[in-house]
Amino acid sequence: MLKNTLTIFTKEFMSYFRTPTAYIIIAVYLVLSMFATFYSSNFFMNNNIGLTSFFTYQPEILIILIPALTMKLWSDERRSGTIEFILTQPISYTSIILGKFLAAFAFGCLLLVLTLPFDLYVSALISLDSTMILSAYLGTILSIMFLTAIGCMISAFNTNSVLAYLFSVFMGWILISINFDFLLQPWMNLSENLSVKLTQSLNFYHHYQDMIMGEPGLDNLMYFCTLSVLALWINRIAIDYKKQ
Amino acid sequence: MIVAKNLSKNFNGIKALDSLSFCLNKGDVVALLGPNGAGKTTLLRILTGYLSPSSGDVEIYGHDPIKERVAVLSKIGYVPENAPLYPEMSTYEFLRFSAKLRNISPEILSQKIFSVIDNLQLYSVLNQRIETLSKGYKHRVALASALMHSPKILILDEPTEGLDPNQKFEMHKFIKNYSQQSIIIISTHILEEVEASANRILLLNKGKLIRDTTPQELKLSGSNYDIASAFRSMTGGSDNA
Repeated sequence: MLKNTLTIFTKEFMSYFRTPTAYIIIAVYLVLSMFATFYSSNFFMNNNIGLTSFFTYQPEILIILIPALTMKLWSDERRSGTIEFILTQPISYTSIILGKFLAAFAFGCLLLVLTLPFDLYVSALISLDSTMILSAYLGTILSIMFLTAIGCMISAFNTNSVLAYLFSVFMGWILISINFDFLLQPWMNLSENLSVKLTQSLNFYHHYQDMIMGEPGLDNLMYFCTLSVLALWINRIAIDYKKQ
Repeated sequence: MIVAKNLSKNFNGIKALDSLSFCLNKGDVVALLGPNGAGKTTLLRILTGYLSPSSGDVEIYGHDPIKERVAVLSKIGYVPENAPLYPEMSTYEFLRFSAKLRNISPEILSQKIFSVIDNLQLYSVLNQRIETLSKGYKHRVALASALMHSPKILILDEPTEGLDPNQKFEMHKFIKNYSQQSIIIISTHILEEVEASANRILLLNKGKLIRDTTPQELKLSGSNYDIASAFRSMTGGSDNA
């Protein structure tokens, strides 16, 4: 299975670089990230030992860019008919789904790798807290994984890649910005403490903030991994559903 | 060996296939013949596990295409209608990708790729992007990909659609040569193709198998002793031609 996943991964990852898309996404990401860091977050006015100014706006930037990586993964296969080719190869659906997901995830991680020179630049100016930065990078990688899985799932339900992009941005925005208070309102009376904990455990920013503040926990890891696996599982259901 | 028993497929209450039963053996070159909408492509998609049947069973060399799809697909070479390919890849890249998906070992990978390139005369377009190829070449590339692992079953959906007469002739010649070692299923509504390639006909109409016969027998049942008149009379077309 691993070999087949790698074959799909390589094909999808390389396909980003066959068109200018990859370079445009890289350029837009770097410009937006630097703009958010130096302009919106007042980089020079804040204490940035953990590069908080850089990491604070990463989810908003990734919400816009990750769907551009995932939008075509399934929708283009459906539109062009190549889905019939790929799904009639002697490899498991899991290999195909994982290969596509990992290709987009790896590209998302590549974006992050390209910001390392910025870290080096800042480290020459101020003393950085490496533990805090590592934790923040891990949080951002987990966010990329989460948004990639959501994007793959949405793409699997669409034949139009523009619609897949728009739905993915919308879905990402909903999942990141929503506060689950309203869902837990009925249980507030039973136990306020429990309700607050539940609300926090379902909230994206609560987990992301923990990580960029250098306080990663197993609950943060579980949150991102569980939702990503759930999205990929729904992706699988979408593929199976089309067989009916 | 392919065995189908009472195979049916419904799409939103519409019967695309209605209780089909047949058995195909090695050496059979089967033409799935029928008018548009007869259920030919649906049947091929069920045989390849791309669609699941609503009811009934299929066995391909003892395996179920849905429950054991990897085992089944490793025996099948399938060229879907319009030969869908990845346009951004070159011919060689696509064939290499196909070979890897077919789990061909690295030691013989290049040998296998160049063997199909040689058989289908693809040398001249090896480094050309697929999107720039003519329809005939695209068909050949798709066929080369399907033949990569020397499948026991070759399934071709409308294989000569859009090809010029020379390319059609080459395709028929290829089918004849390959039929000795495998089962070939060709979905078509082009009658000349049936005469040129098939030794067995499954005639479908409105999802039903209305005739399991040979080209010779079908000819005899037509008013003009040809396949065209037999086809028209059996599928509800006018027989006054």
